[in-house]
Amino acid sequence: MARYLLRVNGERREVDVDGDTPLLWVLRDELGLTGVKYGCGVGLCGACTSHVDGAAARPCVRTAADSAQTRITTIEGLSRDGDHPVQRAWRELDVAQCGYCQPGQVMAAAALLARDPDPDDAAIEEALRDNVCRCGSYPRIRDAVRRASRIMREER
Amino acid sequence: MISRRTLLRGAGIGALVVAVPVPALAAEGLVPNVFVRLDDAGRITATVPRPDTGQGVRTVVALMVAEELAVEAGDVALEQAHGDTERFGSQAVANSTSVRQLATPIRTAAATARCLLVTAAARRWRVPVAECVAKDGAVCHPRRGKLPYRALVRAAAALDPATVPVELTPPEKWRLLGKTRGGRVDARDVVTGRTGYGIDARPPGGLVAVVARPPWIGAVPDTVDDTATRALPGVLDVLTLTAPAEGQGGVAVIARSTHQALRGRDALRITWRGGTPTADSRAWLADLRSALPAQSPIDGVQQIYSMPLLAHAPMEPMNATAHVRPDGLTIWAPTQDPGGLRTQLARQLGVPATSVRVETTASGGAFGRRIEPDPVLEAVACSRRAGAPVQVLWTRADDMRNDSYRPMSVHRLSAEIGSDGVPIRRAHEVVTWPLTVLPFFANPALIKASGDHFPYTVPGDVSVIVRPAPLRTGFWRSVYAGQFVYAEENFLSEIGRRSGLDQVALRRSLLPAGSRLHKVLDTVAEQARWTRPPAPGTSRGVACLEDYGSAIAVIAVAEPESRRVLRVHAAVDVGVALHPSGVRAQVEGCVIDALSTVLGAQITVREGGVAESSFGDYRWARIGQTPDIDVTIVPSNAPLGGLGELAYPPAAAAIASAIAGDTPVTSMPFGTAVG
Ligand code: FES
Ligand code: FES
Repeated sequence: MARYLLRVNGERREVDVDGDTPLLWVLRDELGLTGVKYGCGVGLCGACTSHVDGAAARPCVRTAADSAQTRITTIEGLSRDGDHPVQRAWRELDVAQCGYCQPGQVMAAAALLARDPDPDDAAIEEALRDNVCRCGSYPRIRDAVRRASRIMREER
Repeated sequence: MISRRTLLRGAGIGALVVAVPVPALAAEGLVPNVFVRLDDAGRITATVPRPDTGQGVRTVVALMVAEELAVEAGDVALEQAHGDTERFGSQAVANSTSVRQLATPIRTAAATARCLLVTAAARRWRVPVAECVAKDGAVCHPRRGKLPYRALVRAAAALDPATVPVELTPPEKWRLLGKTRGGRVDARDVVTGRTGYGIDARPPGGLVAVVARPPWIGAVPDTVDDTATRALPGVLDVLTLTAPAEGQGGVAVIARSTHQALRGRDALRITWRGGTPTADSRAWLADLRSALPAQSPIDGVQQIYSMPLLAHAPMEPMNATAHVRPDGLTIWAPTQDPGGLRTQLARQLGVPATSVRVETTASGGAFGRRIEPDPVLEAVACSRRAGAPVQVLWTRADDMRNDSYRPMSVHRLSAEIGSDGVPIRRAHEVVTWPLTVLPFFANPALIKASGDHFPYTVPGDVSVIVRPAPLRTGFWRSVYAGQFVYAEENFLSEIGRRSGLDQVALRRSLLPAGSRLHKVLDTVAEQARWTRPPAPGTSRGVACLEDYGSAIAVIAVAEPESRRVLRVHAAVDVGVALHPSGVRAQVEGCVIDALSTVLGAQITVREGGVAESSFGDYRWARIGQTPDIDVTIVPSNAPLGGLGELAYPPAAAAIASAIAGDTPVTSMPFGTAVG
């Protein structure tokens, strides 16, 4: 076990874990950030998608050790009040069914819009390609990303 | 009017509580099992007796209560009921019945509360009841002004409900129900990560367990060397689980954290014995085929269809948390049947049901899998050993490889064709396995009843041969209708193609005029502009289903060359669509299931075990494969119908026919070896 200093959602958090512990379990088990979802543990489903240094990343395939000097944002830290344009668009279009994949979908969409404010369908499909929704909310996700992009443009 | 028996008076506690029985459960003794409560601060709380597995029952409950109490859905706090069949009746989410069974009692409970509040206000003002209306959380009178509910709760609770007539708000006056606006009540929690799923339950002092599971079907641990495991940091205990009392069996590692439990499991050295180490799903398919009778009953057009194993693979893998204490136990689980689970645990452990508490968490999808208790039984065994709360977590591979799969099946369809090219007699012979999770499902008549919904006026016979299941099988969305309808509709399309008939006209001619299916078929044909020829390079498929008290017709448009599905149109008659966005969501979800299973998702067994382990090889559809989906809700006077499973079978059939173009469909997935 060793101590690691992480920067999570704008706060410094110290954890005492083995260096090879996946960041996913550090966030969920040690820091109680359970909005970060476990779906596969091997980088294939996108349920855990969070931001590392502003880009979409999969905490299940990163370790505590490689996260030490990074800036991590989880779904809990995406916005103060749950009103990030992506979160608003998701509510407006009633995207969620069971909702389990949605924190990951929202984080993937927010990272996409941060680097490409007006993505076309191909860019949306590329960015969300490996975010599985077993309930089949894809048509609404596609529409909600476009909607979020519009909200961001209107409010700029 | 509501009887005194069904109203729980709350005058003494400053609250108005209305409880109404669910009539479908009358056999269970008319327990008042739907609850609406108003306290003297005016807060409205409704109990949701059944779990929400993504089908949106919580939202529909909130809308119904808000509609009857003349408030907004957001004004209704929801309490998810814990497991208690004596109080709530059946709590199972199964067979698309939740909303159908709950609608009248919940609306009645909320309407009763409203009528009592209005009556209390009328008496206080000494005016006729008919002059008062409930609006925005208050009772209003044109001259007396308004009284908020909170000021009326005590007086309303003191009334004798038998003296107050109760009227449900008629559909033409609905503000919320049946309207397109308004999404899920839990949407904010979902997009901020606050929703508590089973996997998020971590009571204080809670530990985590993962289970080393049989490497091939039916294997049991022979020798277990856990020396290396026990030496690892954080590992607290190792125990062997014995099926069926302790789940599916295996070796559990209990640790302080998930990662430590997973590492502990990796370090186990287990030898296994028994089971079927050489089992192969290709051989299983061959066995099903060879069980078909030598001769089909009809000598005419004929086609054989093969269906694969399918896994549920809900997004939240199986898990359960248990805390066994000397005086009882508490379970936190994303279950489809909290009441049934509690009863079963009490019986199995020989303890009174009152000492078992089952907390229903949110559930990350279910699709039929979470009706089974196996993860809970594992958690109970682990917690009992540890003397602390324990969460048993299944990895994705555990989930994929230890499911209760949709059975494989083989279907031989034959038909005698009349001079106009239309079938005049048919036979459908099915060879399949039972559902092992519910032993009475080995009965061929029951399998036939689940699968056979042939709606067309072609006389004929459906026969079912049941072979022993070589692995665990269970309820998968739509159950046997998923296989039966796929075969029947693709066969009808095949006949239409050979006879050069228009697929929609063929079906219209075989449906009773004025039937619900006739209407949805006409609607979807118009929606898809069926009478125009398809664009070059595209092809179309159509299929229908009436089941669960609802009717649907689906048209899919695809490019056979690229195997891309471009559009799926659906017209659905669900009687009353209480939450249209939720209705559409269920149809969309079924279409994606259909797309996934037609395009390639299947479970195969090699060397005794399931080969697939995750979403990389169980090829569920991704956003880029998603067609445009356009759902029309057809106005209807029919009673409220079920919906959660309705669209899957016809969507799969329509999509397969569309992708197939001019070639016959003979399997699911389309054009892929099965097994
Ligand atoms: S849990 Fe991280 S990608 Fe699936
Ligand atoms: S909403 Fe259930 S998995 Fe996406």
